[in-house]
Amino acid sequence: MVLAFTAAAIAMLIAMIPAGIVLCRDDLPAAIVAYEFIGAVVVMVLVLLAQAFQRPALFELPVLFALLLFGSGLVFVRAMERWL
Amino acid sequence: MIVKDVFADVLLGAAVLIVASASLGVLLMRDAYRKLHFVTPAALVAPFLVALAVLVQMGWYQNTGETCLALFFLVIAGPYLSHATMRAIRVREAGDWRQVARATRPGAEKEQ
Repeated sequence: MVLAFTAAAIAMLIAMIPAGIVLCRDDLPAAIVAYEFIGAVVVMVLVLLAQAFQRPALFELPVLFALLLFGSGLVFVRAMERWL
Repeated sequence: MIVKDVFADVLLGAAVLIVASASLGVLLMRDAYRKLHFVTPAALVAPFLVALAVLVQMGWYQNTGETCLALFFLVIAGPYLSHATMRAIRVREAGDWRQVARATRPGAEKEQ
């Protein structure tokens, strides 16, 4: 079962590649959309890895990251709206 | 035990499929407005499936609770972020997100 969670985490990391291409190569609005997408997927990857390694302490990282994702996303879109 | 494992595997597979297809959607769609539609499945549906898989595997345990908390933050943040992003893109392109609505409203010329 550990293998399933690890495999899912790796598959999600691979699945992020198209969004990563958008983040690197597209214009700023599309890059911010890709950033939000990747942020949401990274939360899932952290949950999957914490479950795969059977380490309850690691579950605090995705919770914190999900919370910070909200604030950082708003900061980014506000900066794009006003200054970029 | 085997049924639980298979059920968790199916949930994880569905989550991975959703993320992969949404990622392709982000890549292939033309502009940022259309790309934004593909963030929602990855930010809401897939985390729900992952949390369900952890719940099936672990039962009601500390790990499940923290996963549900992360899911809760994602569910709260997703719609706000999508709206703010779309509004910011509109402001960046047109100067004001209400510009078209004002211009087409009857009597808009008199106000200006």
